[in-house]
Amino acid sequence: MRSFFQAVVSGLVTGSLYALMTVGMTLIYGTLRTLNMALGAMVLVGGYVSWMLFSGLGWGPLAGLVGAAAVTFAFGVVIQQVAVRPLIGKTGVDFEMTAFISTFAVAIVFANVALEIYGARNKAVPPVVEGRLHLIEGVSVSWHQVVMAGVAIVMLVALGIFLSKTRYGLGISAVAQQLDAARLMGIPVQRVYNLTMGVSSALAGIAGVLLASVFFVSPNAGDLPLLKALIVAIFGGLGSVRGTIVAAYIIGLLEAMISLYFGVKWSLPVLFVVIMIVLLIRPTGLFGKPEEARL
Amino acid sequence: MLETRDLHAAYGQTRVLEGIDLTVGDGEVVIVIGPNGHGKTTLLRTISGLMAPTSGEVWFAGARVDGRSPDLIATDGLVHIPQGDLPFGDMTVEENLVLGAFPASDWRGRGQRLEHVYGIFPVLGERRGQRARTLSGGERRMLALGRGLMREARMLMIDEPSLGLAPVIVNEVYRHIGTIMRSGVTMLLVEENFSHVHDLDARILLLESGRIVREGTVAELEADEAVMATYLGT
Repeated sequence: MRSFFQAVVSGLVTGSLYALMTVGMTLIYGTLRTLNMALGAMVLVGGYVSWMLFSGLGWGPLAGLVGAAAVTFAFGVVIQQVAVRPLIGKTGVDFEMTAFISTFAVAIVFANVALEIYGARNKAVPPVVEGRLHLIEGVSVSWHQVVMAGVAIVMLVALGIFLSKTRYGLGISAVAQQLDAARLMGIPVQRVYNLTMGVSSALAGIAGVLLASVFFVSPNAGDLPLLKALIVAIFGGLGSVRGTIVAAYIIGLLEAMISLYFGVKWSLPVLFVVIMIVLLIRPTGLFGKPEEARL
Repeated sequence: MLETRDLHAAYGQTRVLEGIDLTVGDGEVVIVIGPNGHGKTTLLRTISGLMAPTSGEVWFAGARVDGRSPDLIATDGLVHIPQGDLPFGDMTVEENLVLGAFPASDWRGRGQRLEHVYGIFPVLGERRGQRARTLSGGERRMLALGRGLMREARMLMIDEPSLGLAPVIVNEVYRHIGTIMRSGVTMLLVEENFSHVHDLDARILLLESGRIVREGTVAELEADEAVMATYLGT
């Protein structure tokens, strides 16, 4: 029973991080109708920014959070301008597929530039706070994990408020739901695309800082988070921000349970089987919408 | 306020507009009447920038706007209420309306505008928290009109406000359009059916196969038997 609770706790923590990654994917899919394969690279950038602030200036991961968010936001806008925007509206070109490929190319470039600059050796970043929080007897969680989940949840709530209450947040939803009407309302679509890419990238960058203290920072640090985000995305269906968050927690908990009862090595294979079953029953994913209305 | 010069537009190889010259003066109401599939919607979409013309010019409020992106034209004060209403389906009625005031200069006054729109369309006030996709056809049309009124408009373009509505609702919609007209706004309205608009004080253009074939007041056109034979009825 203790190990069950322990698994629930760690499942909720990883679920929060998956949510942080995949919500960005949902926003981009909602507005631009493509997958952004460069989000994993933003995890990488977040990790390195955090490591540089720590090793160069001695600043802790909290400074890393702010710094990484700013840097990855800027990268997101640049990626949009360089790798995605030139493909929009090209006749005879399947935008969804070409943008998928070009953002994947961006991810490869980032990984190799990181390898060139920082080398292949893993970089260690200390946790935000040391120590463990004992919940009940035999069940504990490191304070760093509490911070991870806390930061992720705060960011998700902030995102929800941004999307439903602010001018540009509503603009993002408007572009996602009815592009022509959004344009007729005077919403600058290109700016909304930039903003969406920036925000999504910043969320992934923040996830990168949080993950950096758990794993290490290395040139392929973004690969696994991207894979998990894609799994959550397929499972949840990229239909809505809320559905994506629920899907992220389900996958996080599922993974923790599989690790507990079958061992860590089974977590990916079993997840793939679960996803295949979900897709057989509901091809649009758990919360996906078949029609074009999204977000 | 608005002028098009020899405006041509096409979907791929299919030519839809074949040289439209029209002007709408300040404070004037112009109604374009024509059968389905002859280019009325395309005309409005080309003016508002949703479609690029293949040739010709569009002038709005003293500036040439063809080739500009629709959000810039909209921010200049052109309000286009599109065919099919195009609501933001998963948003509430109020969020839909608020988005109508997106340009920075309108955003500040959105609270007042909202009350103004709820005053004109009380049903939208009653349904303010409801998702737009759950509205009836008539309510959706009111929402589209209301969303258009959220912005300071130099000119209002309305695409077939009677489309797909029951006759009772059509009368209600046109009662509202009459009210909007009397507020002195410049308007370009498109309609398939002559009977809905013959009470309105407006200049009428007849659009056929992408060309404007006749022009006149309601009274002049009603005196023309050939026109009435073609366009009266449904």
